Amino acid sequence: METTHRRFTPPHSGGPGRARVSTPFQQVGTGSTRGAGFTFLKAGQTLGALLVLYGLWWGLSRIAPWPSPREVFGVLIADLREAAFRTALLGSLRRMFIGYLLVVVIGVGGGLLLGRIPLVDHMLGSFAVAIHAIPGAAWVPLSILWFGMTERAVIFTVVLGAAGIVIVSTDTGIREVPPLIVRASRTLGAKGANYFWFVVVPAAIPKIVDGLRLAWAFGWRALMAGELFTSVNGLGGLLNQIVKTQDMKVLLALMMLIALIGIGIDWLFQQLQYGVWVRWGLAD
Amino acid sequence: MQIELRHVSKSFRNKGGTLAVLEDINLTVEDGEFVCLLGPSGCGKSTIINLVAGLETPNDGDVLVGGQPVRRPDPSRTVVFQDAALFPWLSVLGNVEFGLRMAGLPKTIRRARAMEYVKLVHLSKFANAYPHQLSGGMKQRVAIARALALQPEILLLDEPFAALDAQTRSVLQNELLEIWELARPTILFVTHNVREATGLADRVYVISARPGHIRDVRPIDVPRPRHAEDPLLLAHQHAILGLLGEEVEKVFREELGETVHFPEAQHVVPPNHTRGLHI
Repeated sequence: METTHRRFTPPHSGGPGRARVSTPFQQVGTGSTRGAGFTFLKAGQTLGALLVLYGLWWGLSRIAPWPSPREVFGVLIADLREAAFRTALLGSLRRMFIGYLLVVVIGVGGGLLLGRIPLVDHMLGSFAVAIHAIPGAAWVPLSILWFGMTERAVIFTVVLGAAGIVIVSTDTGIREVPPLIVRASRTLGAKGANYFWFVVVPAAIPKIVDGLRLAWAFGWRALMAGELFTSVNGLGGLLNQIVKTQDMKVLLALMMLIALIGIGIDWLFQQLQYGVWVRWGLAD
Repeated sequence: MQIELRHVSKSFRNKGGTLAVLEDINLTVEDGEFVCLLGPSGCGKSTIINLVAGLETPNDGDVLVGGQPVRRPDPSRTVVFQDAALFPWLSVLGNVEFGLRMAGLPKTIRRARAMEYVKLVHLSKFANAYPHQLSGGMKQRVAIARALALQPEILLLDEPFAALDAQTRSVLQNELLEIWELARPTILFVTHNVREATGLADRVYVISARPGHIRDVRPIDVPRPRHAEDPLLLAHQHAILGLLGEEVEKVFREELGETVHFPEAQHVVPPNHTRGLHI
């Protein structure tokens, strides 16, 4: 029988069948399989919305003490030309990369173990869900206690902020192999380890990819929180410094960059996810 | 290999209690014979396939294959399901190769053999395509090739052509017959289509519903190739439709209450399902 924690599925994991591809960075509005299939209409709509937003921002800067979009983008470009800034940026990306690699290994590996071995599931299943339930930022104090104000504390935050979702979605995926696939594979002689590696794991890949995409978003947030508190040399650390100067345009430029990286990489994941969904027959 | 069901009963537990699906089924399929199970939906004919495949066990009675009781699925008994049930992450060739891979055949051998069967079902050009790129008929061809690649002694087909259009269905029926004449596996073929059953089978078991039991066994003594308008074939169809008409009416009465009345038996087979068979 299923225990209660198995009922916990990530909010974005969708149900079996033709669920929608949800986007952590696009939780407002329709944001479903957007970008999945490119059309000029969709691109035009997006472009139009951006123009309206730009106009509003510009209007606001005329009537309120807000930096104009031009100023902010100007700062951003100037920032990117600066070696110290680029070092901070690359530092953040490097920490994210290391943390994310660990997330993939721990998340997928842990999820497979949980799904494959009932004993592990009974012992650690609820533990994984508990980790998943704690937001990345809430791990920062513990990380600092263990690792000090160091880079390792930041990576630890990323791992704990993002691994849970991958464990849970991998576990869900390997439990939700479509019954017809199970039966077909049994009649073709699949059993034991063969059955696991050649049927269960591939059948779980759409769910695993869903988890990996969400883990990117969660990890990126956790990275910022970790850097902000530990003041290591990264984008989060820069946020911390800038806030002391009270220079809004510099702050906005940095936040813009953080958003752009978040959206850009999420877009890549979305393409991967959509490709998987199409091949697995979950989307057209 | 011979298939034999002796006094087989099967019921499923559901919310309200138990649902008897099969009751005292006795049937035999001789080695190399082509037998169709024909009955209305819900008569438990798919359950018979699952029992022979070893995917389910009977509550009562014996399911024997070659005289031995069936305990679990075995690659010597392969199944073609109604919705193909292909592995979406594998190419056509990968799907056909799957059983051979599970059997532990070396890569070069299994690849060559899989390719033979892909050719047999006329999909060479699509060997590297993925299921999502195929039409319904092509998917069913892949499923047949996948089931045949293991060179099974028994081929079980569970309404394999029910979701296809009439043209495709008729083509695939002919191909299936050709393949059967070539390799002579024992075939148990489930359908609710009277023309399909009489066009293909050596013998037709007519199954009646709720709980399923055998209503009639009818040897189709018409030589192949058969022609759709053969009067003998039409006579068989007429007789079966008569039997089934009562059955279908009974099922609908149970589901919809006593208000429904069917003046004619032909309701069993929707018009677009009755053409298409040119055997």
